[in-house]
Amino acid sequence: MNASDFTILLEGVTFTYPGTNIGVHDVNLGIRPGELLAVIGPSGCGKSTLLKIIAGFVQPSRGRVIIAGKDAAGIPPRERNIGIVFQSYTLFPHMTALENVAYPLKLRGQSAEAGRGMALDILGRVGLKDHVDKLPAQLSGGQQQRVALARALVFDPQALLLDEPLSALDAALRVEMRDEIRRLQRAHHIATMHITHDQEEALSMADRVAVMRDGRLVQVDAPKALYARPANHAVASFIGHANLWRGRIASETSVETPFGVLKTAPHGFATDTPIVVLVRPEKLAIGAAANGVNTLGGKVTRDRFLGSFRRFDFEVGGVTLLGETGDMAEITSVHIAPEAIQLLADHDGKTP
Amino acid sequence: MALATYLYLVYLFTPIALLLIGSVGQVWFNTLLPSGFTTEWYVQVANDGSFQRAFWTSLKVCALTCVIGAAVGMPLAYAIYRAASRKIRAAARIIYLLPIAVPPLVLAFGFVLVFSSDTLPFLGSLWVLVGGHLVLTLPYLLQTLIGDMRHLKLAEVELAAESLGAGGTRRFFDIVLPSLRHSLASGLITVAALSIGEFQLSNLVAGFLTRPYPVVLLQAFYGATGFACAATVVLLALALLASVGGALTARGAQGAYGAGA
Repeated sequence: MNASDFTILLEGVTFTYPGTNIGVHDVNLGIRPGELLAVIGPSGCGKSTLLKIIAGFVQPSRGRVIIAGKDAAGIPPRERNIGIVFQSYTLFPHMTALENVAYPLKLRGQSAEAGRGMALDILGRVGLKDHVDKLPAQLSGGQQQRVALARALVFDPQALLLDEPLSALDAALRVEMRDEIRRLQRAHHIATMHITHDQEEALSMADRVAVMRDGRLVQVDAPKALYARPANHAVASFIGHANLWRGRIASETSVETPFGVLKTAPHGFATDTPIVVLVRPEKLAIGAAANGVNTLGGKVTRDRFLGSFRRFDFEVGGVTLLGETGDMAEITSVHIAPEAIQLLADHDGKTP
Repeated sequence: MALATYLYLVYLFTPIALLLIGSVGQVWFNTLLPSGFTTEWYVQVANDGSFQRAFWTSLKVCALTCVIGAAVGMPLAYAIYRAASRKIRAAARIIYLLPIAVPPLVLAFGFVLVFSSDTLPFLGSLWVLVGGHLVLTLPYLLQTLIGDMRHLKLAEVELAAESLGAGGTRRFFDIVLPSLRHSLASGLITVAALSIGEFQLSNLVAGFLTRPYPVVLLQAFYGATGFACAATVVLLALALLASVGGALTARGAQGAYGAGA
């Protein structure tokens, strides 16, 4: 990775909280100019620590943080010129929305008039023109988060860090705010790191998604690639729904699963290798295959109607398969195309 | 439910009502209510030298307790809240809550021992009284301030301010102090009310010329009922006045700290 290609670049960054093994380990990650990178993982995986390291609130014990081509070691948070939006809004309770947004400009020596003008402008752009003189306590959660977003962008920062900004909002508002954040981020063409534990949020908003687990980066990829080609069991189970079975390579074009041998595309694994078999629910095709390949008979044990599609459990020889289809007819058999079967080397996700 | 509330209110306000009636009653002897109307008792209290002195002593002690309490309590609360280690925070909490647990009498005895020694012969001075009131009231102020800091998630708010470019001093004066204006006000009202009504410690620590109002008031109970009532009503008024004063001190503190920024 070349530092000049990235607004923010982490090189071998390691940090552990004193007396524990919790933190982040050897993280290499870059955020390109104008890119929205989502960092996703279960709570405690180190994603918020990563944000704190970039912001300068904690110092990595090893590795380098490079911001706009400059090593950030020794630069205090207040001089890093990075906008941050926190989960708990963190608006200043004694200042109006306008004063909150104008505050970073005041710190930068802008005149009160110029600051007011710029703050009014950006508050208008987040749809709060009629609420500029209200105190945070008089604003709804969504409005407060818009103010926080405006405040983090108004001083033209080098990068934007979002620390689970939507998790305190209710579901409908969350979806609306995703688009809002994306729109603003694009308009400002600002390198953005979005920390979240909501995979739907990450997949729908981000240019690239970084999956973290136990303080380590597991995979960094575009949302579609992450879903189509997960690096390992952990990513496959975390991103979207998945059927995951432990299996064993039976031959060059087949794999043994708990419910029988399935035909696969040529895969290149050695025979007898233990393997994880991944089939996405929508790859479970209804009815028997024309040529009879990988056709499984069984019965539906649970059927969840979800509007335009249904998600069902299909029991085959004591194993439950998860399927998704728009076909509402009765299901007595399913088949899986050999190409739809993915094999994951369970240990570290490296494909041969 | 409603009945219980009314009964409680009657229980609460009857003594005050009787005090007010008694303070303007001419004769009150073996009857339910006094007879006759007079303002003589108030005139007597106002003209009594020891009551006059006690009135001003109480106001002075209360004002000093509020001002010093605000000056000391704010940075102290902030330091305890921001203490990195959980153990330090827990220890600080126990220490600053101790004066609530310890009977004021015990505290007063300690004061008597220390300040009647030859090295520190200050027993009876106004400052020892103020010191005592500070120790007794500071826990309530700290508790209120620290509770508000937690409620506001001040640490995270400060991180936000820091990311926007505000350094330590700037954050304290721009963000921390103004954010706490409401809890500082309510904390100081509590401090003022406690200081005005404090008897146990004051009774032991005060000198003859620095006796605060409640200590002097005790003597009134041995005299005429009307006089005692009037003197007590004055204390009631003083307590209300002190509360207003406490709130004003909070605003003043804002101004003083603000001017320093």
